[in-house]
Amino acid sequence: MRNWSNTANIWPAAGLLLFLGIWEAGVRLFALPGWLLPSPSAVFSSLLNNFSLIAAHSAYTLLEAGIGYTVSVVLAIFLALIFALSPLIKKILYPLLILSQTIPLIVLAVLFTIWFGWGLLPKILVVVLVCFFPIALSLMNAISNVDLDLISLFKSMGAGPLAIFRMVELPLAMPGLFSGLRIAATYSIMAAVIGEWMGAQHGLGYYMILQQKSFAIDRVLAAVLVICLLSLLMVKLVDMLEYLCIPWNREQVRADYQA
Amino acid sequence: MKKKLALVFIGLFLVSLAGCRSQAPAPPGNPPQKIKVLLDWVPNTNHAGLYIARDQGYYAEEGLEVEIVQPPEGGAAQLIASEQADFAVSYQEEVTMARAQNLPLLAIAAVIQHNSSGFASPQSKNIQTPLDFQGKTYGGWGSPSETAMLKALMKKYGGDVNRINIVNIGTADFFTSVQRDIDFSWIFYGWTGIEAEQKGLKLNFIPLDKEDPAFDFYTPVIIANEKTAASSPQMVERFMKATSRGYLFAVNHPDAAANIMVKAVPELNAGLVNASLRYLAPRFQADAARWGEMKQSTWDAYTAFLVENGLLAQTIDSEKAFTNRFLPAP
Repeated sequence: MRNWSNTANIWPAAGLLLFLGIWEAGVRLFALPGWLLPSPSAVFSSLLNNFSLIAAHSAYTLLEAGIGYTVSVVLAIFLALIFALSPLIKKILYPLLILSQTIPLIVLAVLFTIWFGWGLLPKILVVVLVCFFPIALSLMNAISNVDLDLISLFKSMGAGPLAIFRMVELPLAMPGLFSGLRIAATYSIMAAVIGEWMGAQHGLGYYMILQQKSFAIDRVLAAVLVICLLSLLMVKLVDMLEYLCIPWNREQVRADYQA
Repeated sequence: MKKKLALVFIGLFLVSLAGCRSQAPAPPGNPPQKIKVLLDWVPNTNHAGLYIARDQGYYAEEGLEVEIVQPPEGGAAQLIASEQADFAVSYQEEVTMARAQNLPLLAIAAVIQHNSSGFASPQSKNIQTPLDFQGKTYGGWGSPSETAMLKALMKKYGGDVNRINIVNIGTADFFTSVQRDIDFSWIFYGWTGIEAEQKGLKLNFIPLDKEDPAFDFYTPVIIANEKTAASSPQMVERFMKATSRGYLFAVNHPDAAANIMVKAVPELNAGLVNASLRYLAPRFQADAARWGEMKQSTWDAYTAFLVENGLLAQTIDSEKAFTNRFLPAP
């Protein structure tokens, strides 16, 4: 069992190295110009050379994504509470929620910029728009899947709707909530970047546009690499948060990872 | 029997291959050659000659079927360099900076002879000279030529470019932007300036060609890939002949040209197109011997300015950046 879990880590790394190797060889073999497709070595070296600038821009993007994500979580939990307490409100608002997801994101990003300018607010709004829905939906689904017998039990002991939400529905819905949190985390960074494309002064999206207009595709790809890493970081943070928030699940989670 | 049939099919296949893209002008009966032209921005009167040549049949007469396409967010320069389109509308600044990064772009005509662009701001912002840019917010599209120009102007007037707040507003409209914390932008007077006149918005306009002779560069220009120019010179000549006719039509008949433009792009405001073409008509060719002609000195001056200020990755050979050889004889 132990040996398996060690070698299991090698394969993804090996696959990645193979992909990078093919890419590097291809660029050199076909002498592809830098403005068309830079090699992985060019991308890495431009990441190192521009590290402090990219880091400064990353800080802005992380800030936008972090604030937007936090607002999404609070909003989602709050909305789930309202829906749990008032089925009427749920009937009215739920279709609007679905509708909000059908509006093209790029259009909304443009409109937010027109309405709110070029500061942090429009980017945060874009992140909220993207992240809020998966979190809210997974939370509401998890709550609706809570064992009705448990709710009846609490009701029979005299618990009101608020107490039931706090003591039964929310705790039991946590695993479902966290799967939604993970999904939203992967999108949060990209949403912030899209918000920045519509108009910004700082951030990875802004940096990417500037570099693309200067024909420095190696720096564009360096920024893409940072975006991927930051998204993975967000997901890892959610995993850690889950470990802290759901102590009763830890044994199960550990067993899952070892399987 | 099977062998004979195979030979017949191979023969037919070879014959059909021979019918593919030829260099000679299309004799009647041959299908026209498909050409893609990328614009630099939303369709506007800078592109009048292209639309006129398309809709008046000038391209068809040269055996070309021209598709005029909006550029994607990535911009036209890289698409021309990677041969995804045949021609595009660009600017001398972009061609210069691209060639410094080894993109094989070649400017083949100047749409407007002298620089009609400059920095514009609503009068209420009180920006009279470039020194007043300090402490204000500039809304641009993220190109290195913008920072280069702002640095140069600040240097000339003894100001500090770091005191200008530079924001990328992408393709956001000038009039909306200036109501939303942007103080000034770089515009074509012939389009946005005229639009401001029409809207009754009083602007302070700082024309670039008056600031320094090196800033009287060619913008916009029509570009092609060097490879296209080398491998299909006759096609490029035919394209330029028709395009030239299109712009000359606009020079001589601005009102009729405006009607054609509005029919081609119904989203445009007819009043604006009319006024804009009346402004541009004397400026397309201006004092040149023929429309589109470019001077070596203009290219050298701007390149020298960029190099002197350390704004170019590597110096370029201006001679290779442009050519007049595809323009029809004067």
